[in-house]
Amino acid sequence: MTTRATRTFIAQRASAVLLLPFVIWVVWSLAALAGAEPSQMRAWLTEPVTAVLFAAFIVISAFHMRIGLAEIIEDYVHSGAKGVFMTLNWLAAIAVGAAAIYAAYALAFSS
Amino acid sequence: MTEGASARPLSPHLQIWRWTATMAASITHRATGIALYGGFVLLAVWFVAAAIAPGPFDRISNLFGSPLGLVILFGFAWSLVFHTLNGLRHLYWDTGRGLAPKTAAMTSWLVFGASFVTAALVFAAALVTAGR
Repeated sequence: MTTRATRTFIAQRASAVLLLPFVIWVVWSLAALAGAEPSQMRAWLTEPVTAVLFAAFIVISAFHMRIGLAEIIEDYVHSGAKGVFMTLNWLAAIAVGAAAIYAAYALAFSS
Repeated sequence: MTEGASARPLSPHLQIWRWTATMAASITHRATGIALYGGFVLLAVWFVAAAIAPGPFDRISNLFGSPLGLVILFGFAWSLVFHTLNGLRHLYWDTGRGLAPKTAAMTSWLVFGASFVTAALVFAAALVTAGR
């Protein structure tokens, strides 16, 4: 019943709703960290709760922004380059998400 | 766009229309989306640097306090707030409401205003924190 386009539409909205509380938390936290020493910022990122939430924020955002940029590519690129851009978009989003998961793991859960 | 099968007509593009608030909000939603894409790449780099490269992490973090760093941070904060508020507008539209031209124009102005005020307030709060 649901087509791929419908699933993408729903995924875009669902991730948007999911991101709302994260945006409030991140904006609040970064404002509170203004002027802090790099070591204090690092200590904040190293707390397991922060590391997990921050990674989740970046992963959901990567998911959301991949769909958004794909929509823009579909609107403006009609040549054969479209597939290349779509692939690069996937790779960039996966790289951003994977980097965040790795960083959270290395900061808070290794050693 | 002239090759065979794909040489179908396209709808008139940007430069042909009179500017409206709704159009500006729509374009800004996409522009801030693209800016945030770049912002999240930087955010991921910063996060990874915290984990594996203390030297670069310190340098990036110190950059946040420089004039250029503050401009980038304000741009990121405003983009995030605008995209979030205008995203709420999109979610409201998805319920089939708020689509009348006058209502949509009013909410466009509202989102532009509220995003600047919110970003400015957050920044003011951050500057107060920094001066603690």
